[in-house]
Amino acid sequence: MSAAETVLRIASWISFFYFVILSLVYLTFTIVAWKRLAAHRRARQYSPLDELFASPFTPPVSVILPAYNESTGIVSSVTSLLDLRYPRNEVIVVNDGSTDATLEALRDAFDLRPVREALRTRIPTAPVRATYVSRRHPNLWVLDKENGGKSDALNAGINASTYAYVCAVDADAVLEEDALLLVVKPVVDDPELVAAVGGIVRIANGCRIEAGRLVKFGLPRSNLARFQVIEYFRAFLIGRLAFDSINSVLIISGAFGLFSREHVEAVGGYARDTVGEDIELVTRLHRYLRDRGEAYRIKFVPDPVCWTEVPEQLAMLSRQRRRWQRGLGETLWRHRRMILNPRAGSVGMVTMPYFLLFEFFGAIVQLIGIPVVVLAWAIGVLSASFFLAFLVVSVLLSMLLSLAAVLLEEYAVRRHEGPREIALVVVYGLLESFGYRQLVAYFAFRGFIDLVRGRHDWGEMERRGLERSAEAPLPRQVSSP
Amino acid sequence: MNDAQAVPREQPVILAADDDEDILALVAFRLERSGYTVLQARDGQEAFELARSEKPDLAVLDVMMPKLDGFELTRRLRAEEATSRMPIILLTARAQDTDVAQGFDAGADDYLRKPFSPQELRTRVQAILGRR
Amino acid sequence: MAEALVLLTEVFLVAVGLLLVTLVWRRVALGRGERRVREAERRVRPVAIALVEGEGGETTGLSAREQAVLADVLGRYARKLTGDADARIGAYFHDAHALRSALRELHARRMWRRATAAYRLGDMCCPDEATQPLLAALDDSRREVRAAAARSLGRLRVVSAALPIVEALVQRRVPNGIAGQALLELGTDARPELGRIAGHEDPSVRATAITLLGLVGDSGDSHIAGAALRDPSADVRRAAAEALGRIGTFSDEGALRAALDDRMHFVRAEAAATLGVIDAPEALPRLVEIARTDRFRPARAAARAVARIDPKLLTSVAAAPDAGPHLHEAADLLAV
Repeated sequence: MSAAETVLRIASWISFFYFVILSLVYLTFTIVAWKRLAAHRRARQYSPLDELFASPFTPPVSVILPAYNESTGIVSSVTSLLDLRYPRNEVIVVNDGSTDATLEALRDAFDLRPVREALRTRIPTAPVRATYVSRRHPNLWVLDKENGGKSDALNAGINASTYAYVCAVDADAVLEEDALLLVVKPVVDDPELVAAVGGIVRIANGCRIEAGRLVKFGLPRSNLARFQVIEYFRAFLIGRLAFDSINSVLIISGAFGLFSREHVEAVGGYARDTVGEDIELVTRLHRYLRDRGEAYRIKFVPDPVCWTEVPEQLAMLSRQRRRWQRGLGETLWRHRRMILNPRAGSVGMVTMPYFLLFEFFGAIVQLIGIPVVVLAWAIGVLSASFFLAFLVVSVLLSMLLSLAAVLLEEYAVRRHEGPREIALVVVYGLLESFGYRQLVAYFAFRGFIDLVRGRHDWGEMERRGLERSAEAPLPRQVSSP
Repeated sequence: MNDAQAVPREQPVILAADDDEDILALVAFRLERSGYTVLQARDGQEAFELARSEKPDLAVLDVMMPKLDGFELTRRLRAEEATSRMPIILLTARAQDTDVAQGFDAGADDYLRKPFSPQELRTRVQAILGRR
Repeated sequence: MAEALVLLTEVFLVAVGLLLVTLVWRRVALGRGERRVREAERRVRPVAIALVEGEGGETTGLSAREQAVLADVLGRYARKLTGDADARIGAYFHDAHALRSALRELHARRMWRRATAAYRLGDMCCPDEATQPLLAALDDSRREVRAAAARSLGRLRVVSAALPIVEALVQRRVPNGIAGQALLELGTDARPELGRIAGHEDPSVRATAITLLGLVGDSGDSHIAGAALRDPSADVRRAAAEALGRIGTFSDEGALRAALDDRMHFVRAEAAATLGVIDAPEALPRLVEIARTDRFRPARAAARAVARIDPKLLTSVAAAPDAGPHLHEAADLLAV
């Protein structure tokens, strides 16, 4: 056998083992997630939210909304935040140097008056030009500052926060009315322990939204978006539930996340030099708290808290996935000290290695593995039985697990409306492994290359916020789910 | 009473708005038993339209409703000529002092916190309508 | 090897098929179940309303499922209404299957069954039957059950539960928020107990007791909070200052003014806020100084307190060049 054939053979076996382990990992995740979802569903019967709403022990929350060029949707976004079902909260809108009429829209709609707000200076930010309070809604504050990017805007909002807990939201996220109650619940149960909480982000494409609230659920019409629906169940819901069980949730969606302000300030706020500021912050929180040996929890509640639009065009999806991959890589690199470090507990020993192997490097294997094996089989280096086994673990198993994810979601979280929608979801669940998975692996691979080549110009453009394209009626979401 | 009425009413008409079906049914029951006609709305938008078309003699509104919350609804009703003097009772679980203040600022006549007593609500309704 | 793989493939295909079937069946069953519940609720709600409003309510003709749904609906009304509703709901549940079933379930093996039962008992308005079992459930091995029991004891207004709930709170067996809320519901009946615990050896107990006194107490309790202003624990001092603010009146302003010089900034902040609430003009000079020079929280609280006590003074001191950001903010807010 020639050298090339040997290489091919080895590569094939590596791919094979990769897929076997990945499938086993996902299977474990799925089982763990199943148990937790079942328990959560039952828990609703003995701990409903109404009483949290009425209780003075429910901690007040500062909701921070960074906004860049959101003049069309900002008023309804802010209104929906003011209408959140929560006993006491303030809303802080940070106008990050918008070049459109965002500030004017806010001024007109909410009767803003200039007030020289005293701001904390613990986290450095770009200069704040002016601060306003709404006459009609005394709990609504607006910061007008020079452009500095989403992280910077969030940090400015944190500097302006009154309360012990801050909730970072995206301007184009459509929130559930009970969202704050849902994420605050773990805090009420364990006030000293909980440092951050995230919830389920669902896909808004295809849903009807009125006045900033979801009115009717519907599956998206575009294929790409439908595949993402499946992907969100499989990767995000199941994965995060599993990691939550070992207290190592790394991703709290930038679209909606609750944090203990003191902890965020202690670690210096959001980082401005990465595109994955949400995952980076959470990882940094884990690191800080584990370094100090303090008991803590960073939690994921399996309830839908908000809805966001996902890309329906290949170009935008590609851009998003490349950015995610870069953000992930930057975070893993920045905190590489934690990987396989026993002092970093489950985060360092389980979650970060998982992300490194299966999410970061995994893109390469996903992309190259299958062609390599096909080639190897085609030229006779590998037997047909090996090929069959490979297909089983790489495709069939993942189909199974996708379906399992869909099943779990159906059963425990929120059900789709009719048989037609269920059928659709099942079909797309099966098809997801036949092309979509490889497609996003390709985009992630591109992101990997971007990172290796030190390409930062994308980051620059995205930090300033993406301009809305002419055809998209709703603003683009900028964060990971 | 309302001057702009074509047909004199036998029973005063009350508009009740709440997205909580339990509360809505109960309030309707209690008020109907007390001799009023009750119009039911399940969200702020529906309530607004009913108020404008039927011109009820009093409105009992929840605050946390979809489409149009109770405070904004109150403000709009006050802004319209036909409903500007309609008595409004806010019935809501939003019961912090700031909420109460906001309610009165918006133009409500009374503010009842949830959990509430249906008897209490009826008493207040009678007090307001009896005065006019 | 080849046969094994073929077998494996077939197994997986079968598994996929099974999953599909389960999915569809589950979904259909769930949908149907929910629809049935909704319909049952529609039928049952008029009965529930009539019962709650004391106008009869024919419950004998209902099927078992309808009885269960009725129990749920009545539980919801128990949560949403006050007044005579509770007594009437209690009268219904007294003889109802739901009550006996819940009492039995308190001893179930599965945690969620016990927790659900403990929770439901709180909305059945039958304190006579439920008190002892719920008190026992406060010692359950699982936190969720204890929390549900505490919550229900609060809802049933069982005064004798005040001490056990506080103990559970202190020993961290029940989450603070839930225990606190339960004690709040016990309301004024819990005051004597709270007054006693305000002297407990554990500072976090003292702090919680004083916080609660602030919420349920009145001017008669202000002396307890006032004494706690000199507690060795900063947390207790802060709770004391906050409680006095909630109570709203306090005779010994001097003690509060002394708290303005406390070592801990959050105590100073709370004291400043409370002085604003009770309207203490003698504290103004010190408050202005704090607003100009102190750390963020106390400075802001002090500026707002000045705004409450003497708006004119605020406007004039805010105009000074070294007034500082908090006085500026407070003055601007006044103008809004």
